[in-house]
Amino acid sequence: MDMTRREAFKNLAKGTLPVLAAGCVSTVLPGVAHAEEEKQAPEGALGLLYDATRCVGCKSCMVACSQANDLKPDTRIDGLHQAPPTLNYFTKNIIKLYRTEDGSDHSYFKQQCMQCVDPGCVNACMFGGLRKDVETGVVWWYGAKCVGCRYCEIACSFHIPQFQWDGFNPKIVKCELCREHIAKGAKQPGCTEVCPTQAVIYGKREDLLKEAKSRIAASPGKYFENRVYGEHDAGGTQVLYLSRVSFANIGLPDLGENSIPSGLKYPHAVYKWMALPMALFAGMVFFANRNFKEHDHHLVEDQKKTGLRPQL
Amino acid sequence: MTRWERSVPVYGVPVITRGFWALLGLIAVGLGLIAIREVVGLGGNISGMSDPFAWGLWKTFNVMVLTGLGSGGFAVGIAAWVFNNEKLHSVMRVALLTSVLAYWTGLFALGVDVGRPWNFYWVAWPATWNLHSPLLEIAVCIMLYATVPLFLENLPPVFEYIIYEFPKLRGIAEFCESVMKKVYPVIIGLAYILPIMHQSSLGALMILGGNRVHTLWQTPFLPLIYVWAAGFLGYNCVVLCLLLAKLAWKRDVDPEVLSEMNKITVWVVYSWAAFQLLDILVRGKFFHLFTDGYYSILYWVETALIVGSAYVLSTEKGKKLGTMFLAHALCALGGMIYRFAPTTLAFHAKDGATYFPSAIELIVSLSFVAIAVLAYLVAVKKLAILPGSNQDWRNMARYEEQVKPGIKLTGYAPAQH
Repeated sequence: MDMTRREAFKNLAKGTLPVLAAGCVSTVLPGVAHAEEEKQAPEGALGLLYDATRCVGCKSCMVACSQANDLKPDTRIDGLHQAPPTLNYFTKNIIKLYRTEDGSDHSYFKQQCMQCVDPGCVNACMFGGLRKDVETGVVWWYGAKCVGCRYCEIACSFHIPQFQWDGFNPKIVKCELCREHIAKGAKQPGCTEVCPTQAVIYGKREDLLKEAKSRIAASPGKYFENRVYGEHDAGGTQVLYLSRVSFANIGLPDLGENSIPSGLKYPHAVYKWMALPMALFAGMVFFANRNFKEHDHHLVEDQKKTGLRPQL
Repeated sequence: MTRWERSVPVYGVPVITRGFWALLGLIAVGLGLIAIREVVGLGGNISGMSDPFAWGLWKTFNVMVLTGLGSGGFAVGIAAWVFNNEKLHSVMRVALLTSVLAYWTGLFALGVDVGRPWNFYWVAWPATWNLHSPLLEIAVCIMLYATVPLFLENLPPVFEYIIYEFPKLRGIAEFCESVMKKVYPVIIGLAYILPIMHQSSLGALMILGGNRVHTLWQTPFLPLIYVWAAGFLGYNCVVLCLLLAKLAWKRDVDPEVLSEMNKITVWVVYSWAAFQLLDILVRGKFFHLFTDGYYSILYWVETALIVGSAYVLSTEKGKKLGTMFLAHALCALGGMIYRFAPTTLAFHAKDGATYFPSAIELIVSLSFVAIAVLAYLVAVKKLAILPGSNQDWRNMARYEEQVKPGIKLTGYAPAQH
């Protein structure tokens, strides 16, 4: 392209500067971004502790879950057994089996909502259809605020919220730690009520964490990495896991210690008090106003020459 | 050499053609399928979506890709009005029309995609807004943009139509036009800040996808790279529309304006590609450019299409209309692949999970596009949208005044300034 350097810079300015200005300023504002505090679990945070080494895979928790939540058992596999392949909109809780190919090692594992300390789904939800209870920290679904956009499914690294794909009035289904069951007078969720080996227990997060750590201390080397999954993972979860096999093998991804929503701190910094967008808006109106007058003047001049009605 | 001096309707061709009926048929089929989807839900054979791949074509293509392509309204507009690029005023009406059609059909697609659309009225109740949600920002911003500034920006051609065709309403239309002129700078200010905000938030959406979005695409700067891509996609789309008008109705082109648009496209693309590469390098993901098989290839395909086309546009060959058309088309294709990557192409939802749109999803998606194309074709024939010369206008006036006696399209004295 034949152009002088001056022209080149001019073109660069015309085309890209507005876009640059819109977003790039965010990069010089990391200070603002870091001001956002890391989220802590509320004092009365409730949760579960699941110890995979104690689980015998009896699946009574799945049946109890269906009963406690008034869910139709998912018997689609053979019309008889409740054996869903994954979590789905009939299933808020599932027991799965990890087994090496030669069968030399295996472990059962349980999947349900992790009740994150800083949940991706709650951050994603537009009108608060998913909200974290202030006292218990449990994530609840409110149908009256849910648009069915399924952004919660995109935002959950644990693949927990499940959308009801059939019907004209779909729901988002996920474990809410038996909110209705407990409201009806139950002492604890369905799954912990029936677990014959106490593989899953219910309580305050801090108590569960103490219990988990004492189990690790009692038999060092028994548990994978001698640590509790969920203490810090993904910014912390209220459901905690102990396992003998690696966490990756029982469906717990390695997400680091930062919560998923913490990735949004830069975009949030750009919108701090709407100052940046407002300034950009004001700047553009200023220039547009000046250029508009000039353009309008040209239009009037043209009309005198051509006799044709000016076009905006 | 032709100069684009004013917008002139396409005249002497029928509005209702065989293509018109074909598009209408597709739209009818699409609407029928939408009715079924609303009753039956999204499961079964209706859509290919699943819980791991919770977002399908209607969101990822009709909203996230096509509104990028429909970003001409603000991408060209900023250059014209804020950076005072006089040449670009002649193509603004085309840019605005493509934008409004892309956004409105996108919003329609969104309404069909979501499961509980009746709850959307909360958008009017700011107390319920979750200000942390990028999707909330998008929902509020897109709706505001599509219904206020973008809508108003598209009104002048309609006023003009009323002024010429309905002399009885001329007074009202002229009054509206003069009011619009008074507030126009504020309207266009809004019309640029809102898309910058929501086009970048479309990128912010996938930040919550975490490590399921491949590392070449997942970056804290995803919003910036996303809105930047909208910049050149907007230019691609407008140039393609102008060249197609030449092909379809033999409209003359103004080489100066086209080469100005090409220059801007080239610089937006170069800076975009450089920033994207820089971001990958700074995050220390250099080797992923070569070692990740499918994902590395996807990156290079997308980058080669975009940067290669921009290079062709910057050479002498790019001045030939055929080459220019091909280059903009391939550049747009690359940009669309980029916008499609974080949600779908480079989104590893779960081991073993795949997404392929169902036939119904595809047809409905195409019928949204058909709505936009149909509206575009009717609009350019009825309203003064496509640029032409003053002579074109006089020719058009002579033709129209013969066909419709009593209508006067020249020598008309407007209100004094």
